[in-house]
Amino acid sequence: MKRSYGPAPFSSTLARFSSALARFSSASALCAAVSVPALAADPGGPPDGIDKIDTVVVIFAENRAFDNLYGHFPGADGIDKAGKESLEQRDRDGSVLKELPPVWDGLTAKGVTPPVTQAMTEHLPNGPFTVNDPKGFDVPLTTVTHDLWHRYYQNQMQIDGGKNDMFVAWADSGAMAMSNWDASKTAMWAVAQKYVLADHFFMGGFGGSFFNHQWLICACAPYYPNADKSPAKPTISVTDDSGTALKIADNSPKSAMDGIPKFVSDGNLTPDFHAVNTMQPPYQPSGNESAPGGDPRYADPAKPTTLPPQTEPTIGDMLSLKHVSWAWYGGAWQYTLDHGNHEPTPNFQYHHQPFNYYANFAPGTEARREHIRDAGLAGVSFIQAIDDGALPQVSFYKPQGNLNEHSGYADIEAGDRHIADVVAHLEKSPQWPHMLVVVTYDENGGIWDHVAPPKGDRWGPGTRIPAIIVSPFAKRGTVDHTPYDTTSILRFITERFELPELHGIVVRDKAVAAHGEPPLGDLTGALELN
Amino acid sequence: MNVEKIIALVTAAGIELTDRRRNAKGDGWSLSFANGASVEVGDDGKIGAAGKGAETVARLLDLPAAPGGA
Repeated sequence: MKRSYGPAPFSSTLARFSSALARFSSASALCAAVSVPALAADPGGPPDGIDKIDTVVVIFAENRAFDNLYGHFPGADGIDKAGKESLEQRDRDGSVLKELPPVWDGLTAKGVTPPVTQAMTEHLPNGPFTVNDPKGFDVPLTTVTHDLWHRYYQNQMQIDGGKNDMFVAWADSGAMAMSNWDASKTAMWAVAQKYVLADHFFMGGFGGSFFNHQWLICACAPYYPNADKSPAKPTISVTDDSGTALKIADNSPKSAMDGIPKFVSDGNLTPDFHAVNTMQPPYQPSGNESAPGGDPRYADPAKPTTLPPQTEPTIGDMLSLKHVSWAWYGGAWQYTLDHGNHEPTPNFQYHHQPFNYYANFAPGTEARREHIRDAGLAGVSFIQAIDDGALPQVSFYKPQGNLNEHSGYADIEAGDRHIADVVAHLEKSPQWPHMLVVVTYDENGGIWDHVAPPKGDRWGPGTRIPAIIVSPFAKRGTVDHTPYDTTSILRFITERFELPELHGIVVRDKAVAAHGEPPLGDLTGALELN
Repeated sequence: MNVEKIIALVTAAGIELTDRRRNAKGDGWSLSFANGASVEVGDDGKIGAAGKGAETVARLLDLPAAPGGA
């Protein structure tokens, strides 16, 4: 591939290069489930024609399983193809549930009228149900619903080795885990029909948003050094002998019909101090305020939920090393810094900004100024960059909270419409002729999906999520059955720009191969590049 | 309203529980949520919300007013 790139103006000094490599080396030791001394990309070189893509845009929505939105998409591996094994949910003792438990505290969010109460959700048959079914609850896509647990250990317990039959058993929301929507009238459904819907795309890590945003940029599990001697000590989880499930408390209800399960310690850290559930960024904007008298740009490190600055190399570091321009566009980022957060709009989510956990992007650094950008309210600044043809070679866009489709505080319709609008702008951008856009979700939001995730490493992949691949080079009107996970986005970026490979990708690939699974793709299966 | 109920009501609104522990005095629970709110739940039943997301949490819990927040 012969293509030259202009120098990244600020962030690629020799010192940074050396520093990043040093961190890479130590990071390898930290998460070495499999020891692989790889730094270079595939020696076979990038796929033919990949250099036709000059601009990569990743749009990261929130908390939807594939079957939740696209379970009836023509040609896809949808709910109709689910086997009885995963359709029928089991109780905590392994027996098949006679019916679903109710949605504890009701299906609709507080304040929604008319509400769907807990009593109205009793006695649902054991299987998936469609929330906007006119013959059922008939709740429109504009409705905010009850949120669900979407946590690291619970996700593994729900997947149950690939049977996907314990989603209800280990949920905090009863039947809600089996919900899905008829999304066939949404704007993004039409985009999926026009371009490529990937129907075997899995979230990179088990669990929730915090962890999966880390997987999007780092393919790594964040780490809290000496957590057992820190304010975070009480948030260290207690697992059972398997190490993949939480230890159940003695007073936990024995049956899913009787209530939400209880655990001995359902924390944010693994017993060996990796952060797998939501921790707050060490820098503002963070959910944790500054320490009294401390630097107002920082979060209080004494708070038990403040994660110490992370030092593992990210895809951003790798792009900077190769002088590839890039940016993370956070919706409502600057608004929140200037005015504080407001709900329900923009409802900025602190833990959805993964680079804000890394020392390389600390306040005051040139890297932060260059690469962590404000997308504006409702993405207006990001859309302006699209229209101006001013996007960097790689962009990540995170919609603000009320536009991200997350259960509990956002509805599907608003986020879907927003993302489709962004895609429409991208299609008209001066950069469109050489663009790849990936629209996906960070994780499943605790919602059931029937397809078994590929067996990988300790951290994932987790449940299947939707992914739509949009490009002038897309194999239009197709469903791509290639197995992918969130790190497939990193694989594409790594190959396209000939970057050093992040260690977590190497580990993931080795683990998948060791389990006899087909390799996870690099998204080129969705493209016609030749 | 007990601790379990408070957690259920707040997390149902998509605000994750990020920390739960007995408070320093040992007379109640301290809860932290992903929106920045912290909730003190006394064993005597008193509830107070503070921190960045306190207003939202107070509304979810039907508390009369949020003493803190930014």
